[in-house]
Amino acid sequence: MTRTVNVPDAADRIRAAFADAGVTGRLHALDIDSGTQLGVDADQLVCTASVHKLCLLVALHDRAAAGDLDLTEQAECPPDGRTPGPTGLAAMLDVARMSLRDLAYLMMAVSDNAAADLLLARVGLDAVNRTTARLGLDATRAVHTFGAMLASVKEDAGPAGAQALADPHVVARLRALDPARANRSTPRDMTRLLRAVWRDEACLPEHGAAIRRVMGLQVWPHRLASGFPFDDVLVAGKTGSLPTLRNEVGVVEYPDGGRYAVAVFTRTAHTAATLPAADAVIGTAARIAVDALRSRQRDVPAAPTRVSDDLPARSTAPGRGAGRP
Amino acid sequence: MAQPPLSQRIQRLERELEVRLFDRTSRQVALTKAGRLLLPEARELLARSESLRAAARRIRDGESGLLRAGLPPDIAGDTVAALLTGFQDRRSGVELELHELSTTDQLARFAAHELDVGLIHHPCDVTGLELGPVLRRELGVLLPRDAEAAGLTEVPLAALAGSDLILFPRAGAPVLYDDLLTTCARGGYTPPAVRHGQGASFVRGLVLSVGAVAFSPRDARAVEPDADLVWRPLAGAPLAWRHSVAWPRGHGDTAVRAFADAATHALRTTADARPDTPTRPMRLRPASEYWL
Repeated sequence: MTRTVNVPDAADRIRAAFADAGVTGRLHALDIDSGTQLGVDADQLVCTASVHKLCLLVALHDRAAAGDLDLTEQAECPPDGRTPGPTGLAAMLDVARMSLRDLAYLMMAVSDNAAADLLLARVGLDAVNRTTARLGLDATRAVHTFGAMLASVKEDAGPAGAQALADPHVVARLRALDPARANRSTPRDMTRLLRAVWRDEACLPEHGAAIRRVMGLQVWPHRLASGFPFDDVLVAGKTGSLPTLRNEVGVVEYPDGGRYAVAVFTRTAHTAATLPAADAVIGTAARIAVDALRSRQRDVPAAPTRVSDDLPARSTAPGRGAGRP
Repeated sequence: MAQPPLSQRIQRLERELEVRLFDRTSRQVALTKAGRLLLPEARELLARSESLRAAARRIRDGESGLLRAGLPPDIAGDTVAALLTGFQDRRSGVELELHELSTTDQLARFAAHELDVGLIHHPCDVTGLELGPVLRRELGVLLPRDAEAAGLTEVPLAALAGSDLILFPRAGAPVLYDDLLTTCARGGYTPPAVRHGQGASFVRGLVLSVGAVAFSPRDARAVEPDADLVWRPLAGAPLAWRHSVAWPRGHGDTAVRAFADAATHALRTTADARPDTPTRPMRLRPASEYWL
């Protein structure tokens, strides 16, 4: 049996924080080394949006480990037909040429949609699903490219474009927000993936280290990281966003060695695009969860702790440290 | 039902629940204390099973049966009457069961399959719902007749500066509450104090006694003009309630659509509601991660 944290009010406090910020939220938090966990609707099917770039990154490293591709091989990035987006290659105007691993860096650091679709074309949608299936992420599935996801939003929004996304009537019909039809997962699946990556159980240690490095290079400070305003705490993560949808999954590492995987998926009541409180509550909720896991840890006597049967405890934890530059 | 099978059923139920429900003597049968305590639960269960059958009947033939519909408490009586008439004209065979429910309660009941359709307030989480067109009811301001701004035909938000604001408690609709105050601040009105109140007469009393102001839609104006209070539109119509009909995705049958049409028509004709088409540009920032 996996031990579940029973801090009586942590889940209630997380629900209250979500409600106060005007969002519906689902969360799963997991102590990477003990397996202790906490969830709020943790098995609810959710749209991943750009969080699925993490699955693509792990699949890229799977295929590299299998010898199907070389992470240093160069990819041509012509401007024509690039997947649109506000960052990275998606926002650039001219021809570019770079290695697959540098494309992966742009995909993770600034959620570059063009870099992601170039990698997806090389790795393949099936390979992404094979990787997540191999890791036991039964609810996780990729069904379309990031370009296809954005094209469906554009088509469903209609001729008025982004302006129409302020209309709840339009938001309710976006196919990209329906987990039955879009790339999907659950909070629990995502912490399981992060735990495997941080314990080098998802892939070989050199690949695990590369994944942790680029996740630690994500630039956004407004969501998960905002809940941990401490210079000695590392936050490595990947966000996902669509109209009314705000997600982040990541790992928080404390200087005492505590490592926590957290996955937060939210939908805002408001249709506005700029909602600082909705971004920040992802950090607030994650912090409540991590504090609860840490207080449980402090309560436990020095005797060996019993953890879940399917995830054996290890005395040494490889892959400690996201390896920030 | 013949007595022996009934007794057997009661005994089976008692074994299943692990409590004795009846005291049986040769002469009479009486409920035990446990039986009395469970009776309301059992009645509720039976009522729920009736509503399940009614819903199944409606789904089966789409013509007869029951439509469970929710309306928020702030809808005026005239609008409800117009909605009922309009619905009966469209679907005379369907029985409409109206419930007065807040938006939060309606969303919870949609999720529990206890409500077929409802009129909701925006903003709210529309995951898993289909919506009818969004309508806006513009808000004006209620203020004491002797207030300086009462002399204006249209009141700019900035003219309310210095007045306390009476507003519904934040917990009821935090997003709407924050949105109203943010819009007021952007328009030059930051109330020195916000006092919480909801009922129409309570709000009027507060406006009069402390010289505060409150927002309310045009159709909620005093039916009989109040000597000491006036209602004025806000210049530029910066504030509004936004409504739409909603129902669980994939469950929009003809009865649901008839309710949606009737509610939309009733709001437009009796509550001065207008189609809400977004007119403000949406300038997406890079952290939005999408681009259209």
